[in-house]
Amino acid sequence: MVGAFEQTLLAIMMAFIMLGMGAALTPQDFKSSLRRPFGLFVGLISQYGFLPLIGFTLALLLPLSPEVKIGLIIMSCMPGGTTSNIFTYFAKGNLALSMLMTVNSTVFGVVLIPLLIVLYAAGLGITVPADNIVRTLIVLLVPVLIGMALRRWNANVGAIVELAGGALGIFFILFIMVSWVPRNWQFLVTTSPAVYAAVIGLGLLGFLAGYVFSALLKLHPINSQTISMEIGIQNGPLAMAIVLFSFAGIQQQQIVAVPALYSLFIVINATLLTLWYRRINDRSQQKLPDSFL
Amino acid sequence: MTPPDAARPWLAFYPPGATPTIDAAPFRTVAELVSASARLYGERTAFTVVMPNGMYGDLSFAEIDRMSDAFAVYLREVAGLETGDRVALQAPNSLPVPVVAFGVFKAGCVLVNVNPLYTAEEMGRQFADAQPKALVIVDMFADKLPEALKICPIPNVIVTRVAEFMPAMVKGVIGLVQRYWDRSIPEVQVPHIRLPDVLAAGESQRHIRSIAVETYASALDGTALAALQYTGGTTGVSKGAMLTHGNIVMNMAQTMTFMEGHVKKGEETVLTAIPTYHILAFTLNLLGFFWLGNRNVLVPNPRPLANLKRAFENYRITWIVGVNTLFNGLMNEFWFVENPPKYLKASFAGGMALHGAVAERWLKMTGTHVIEGYGLTETSPVVTGNPIGKARDGSIGIPVPSTEIILINDDGQQVPAGEAGEIAVRGPQVMAGYWRRDDETAKVMTVDGFFRTGDIGTMDPDGYFRIVDRKKDMILVSGFNVFPNEVEECLARLPGVQEAAVIGVPDGAAGEAVKAFIVRIDQTLTDEEVRAHCKTYLTGYKVPKQIEFRTELPKSNVGKILRKDLRTEELALIATRKAA
Repeated sequence: MVGAFEQTLLAIMMAFIMLGMGAALTPQDFKSSLRRPFGLFVGLISQYGFLPLIGFTLALLLPLSPEVKIGLIIMSCMPGGTTSNIFTYFAKGNLALSMLMTVNSTVFGVVLIPLLIVLYAAGLGITVPADNIVRTLIVLLVPVLIGMALRRWNANVGAIVELAGGALGIFFILFIMVSWVPRNWQFLVTTSPAVYAAVIGLGLLGFLAGYVFSALLKLHPINSQTISMEIGIQNGPLAMAIVLFSFAGIQQQQIVAVPALYSLFIVINATLLTLWYRRINDRSQQKLPDSFL
Repeated sequence: MTPPDAARPWLAFYPPGATPTIDAAPFRTVAELVSASARLYGERTAFTVVMPNGMYGDLSFAEIDRMSDAFAVYLREVAGLETGDRVALQAPNSLPVPVVAFGVFKAGCVLVNVNPLYTAEEMGRQFADAQPKALVIVDMFADKLPEALKICPIPNVIVTRVAEFMPAMVKGVIGLVQRYWDRSIPEVQVPHIRLPDVLAAGESQRHIRSIAVETYASALDGTALAALQYTGGTTGVSKGAMLTHGNIVMNMAQTMTFMEGHVKKGEETVLTAIPTYHILAFTLNLLGFFWLGNRNVLVPNPRPLANLKRAFENYRITWIVGVNTLFNGLMNEFWFVENPPKYLKASFAGGMALHGAVAERWLKMTGTHVIEGYGLTETSPVVTGNPIGKARDGSIGIPVPSTEIILINDDGQQVPAGEAGEIAVRGPQVMAGYWRRDDETAKVMTVDGFFRTGDIGTMDPDGYFRIVDRKKDMILVSGFNVFPNEVEECLARLPGVQEAAVIGVPDGAAGEAVKAFIVRIDQTLTDEEVRAHCKTYLTGYKVPKQIEFRTELPKSNVGKILRKDLRTEELALIATRKAA
């Protein structure tokens, strides 16, 4: 289902996407998030509190195979993806907040992700190789740091790397669509409705939980939209990378179908949500005269 | 003759180092200024252009000097221009602006700044009036050229781009994005040459014929024409204010010495987010800060304001020259509120009235002052300013050095002390007149050389001036004068109000009634609340009788609210109602 060539490509692309993410960040962004630990806390609660719980509940309620359940748990314990930043950009949301949440959840994920996966998997009576997951996560943080250093060294290089990283994120999705979908068509038509319900439901419920939670905390609507995008859009490529490096054989192929399907559908749903948010935000832009300002 | 100090009570508030008069201009021409700064500050960065994603390009003082030399040589030797010929420049803030503008001055030619957002019709009209021999235009606006040049042909068309002089890789990326993603680069359909080719040709001519560029402008003195700066002016007809080298150099010196002690030579970074084709940024940023060896951070397009985020993150901005709209807008951006600039020393606001509420909030948020200045295109532009730390709420401050102000009535007589009168200005910054419009010039200049601003003002006993309003905007309610500014200022202080405009509308019994147009932040704000708020601060006849809520107000391309447009709309509405 995912060959050696695709695995290598995936790893390289992940590194570049993370590099681009780092290049978009400044130490100022971190300072401003640490100054308000409340916001950081809200982000982590939504990311690692609500979403894994949603994933676990879906796994518990729907008639799924153990492999799909592992995939679902891994998927729901992922940090925010860089694609959420791209969608937030097009939705004219709070880009800095989105990137910061992505980075925060990735950094804290090194500890939280294996912990949560092991915990929830145990709840479902499944075991997972936690140490492999930790290793993958740490390796992926290195390009983020390099990206930040690049930006600090030269804003032009930073901006180009940032652009390239974003473009690769889009390319990754297209890659799945045009390369993976046709070759696995048979698999797609034989997959049970329950699996579709799980992968689509995870994203949609994530959007909803993120929005409702931040609206209850009376955050600015733009921030609520941004958080909802961030929570709903998980790092699909990372989940695939983790599965590919932590499992083997037929089991690997069955598990990796979940992040692949998730990535496919989240693009469609997030696009619709982006268009909607964008319309709202266009209307609320500060109106400024034509040229002086 | 300089008036005795009793007539200039404001001198007591002059900052240390500022003298009552500046007797000699620091340079004869702007061309001299450019070369002198380049000699002093050489390899330091003079201009940095910053795109919304942080991509940037730098030019040093030496590079600016060398490139503007090459441009001057091209104009004179290749394009065949002569002293006094006009050169139009139509570009948003970008690196070509200083290169071209300074090159024009060095060639002894006259710069004509053209608003890039003008329609083909407006461009054509301005060209027809100024008769430029050359035009430098940014490619994004080239689609309007065929039509504009039909109205008035220009022999030399030079095309440049926003990303010009940025590093090659960055220029390529921006070019691709503009061409294929934004689709903002139309085909140039008229014969033209590209700016880099122009500079290469100029450079080689200079080399081959060992031309000493300074000879082009060496015969010029302060009275020579430097720029035609177009303005609607006090009478509404678009016309070119003739600004001489003396006007511009002196006004730059008058204003910069007024900020003495707060602008350290070679250490400031000024944010230039307002366009340099406007006289405010032109004199203060492009020339004033350049003169003192500082770095200009040029932002091509400040809309939306999020485009300024990277500029604030990547550079230690120490000064901002802006307008009320900019300061107010920034304080409504969450990223600015969360990280107000740390190194900011002060800001200068001009172009339109700075609202007291905005200045107060700015001080609270950034810990720095916004100095309100006052001036007009015809005065190059600065006439008065509030000295730092001695700003007075609601005042435009005190005259800059070498500037006389009198308040006069319609007959040109000075009004008694304490009364309101039309502000009239005399000083080295007052223009030579309107280009080829002696009739218009005669309307605004008094016999003894004062320029009538069309603004009604008063003077505090100790010399601070206040603008009461534009002469033509005054509202007459049952014989009482109401100045829209006063009512607008009051409305701006109501928290639910984002901005407001006030005009007079015909009203049977009272002659005119006060009508307010309001853009709300708080959508639940009602007429009654607005009136109740006004009643606490204003006399009865000044309180708006009619209130209309709108989603936006008509604004000029320099960000001023257009009361005249509102008035026209209102009159048309009344006419149709009567007809029905």
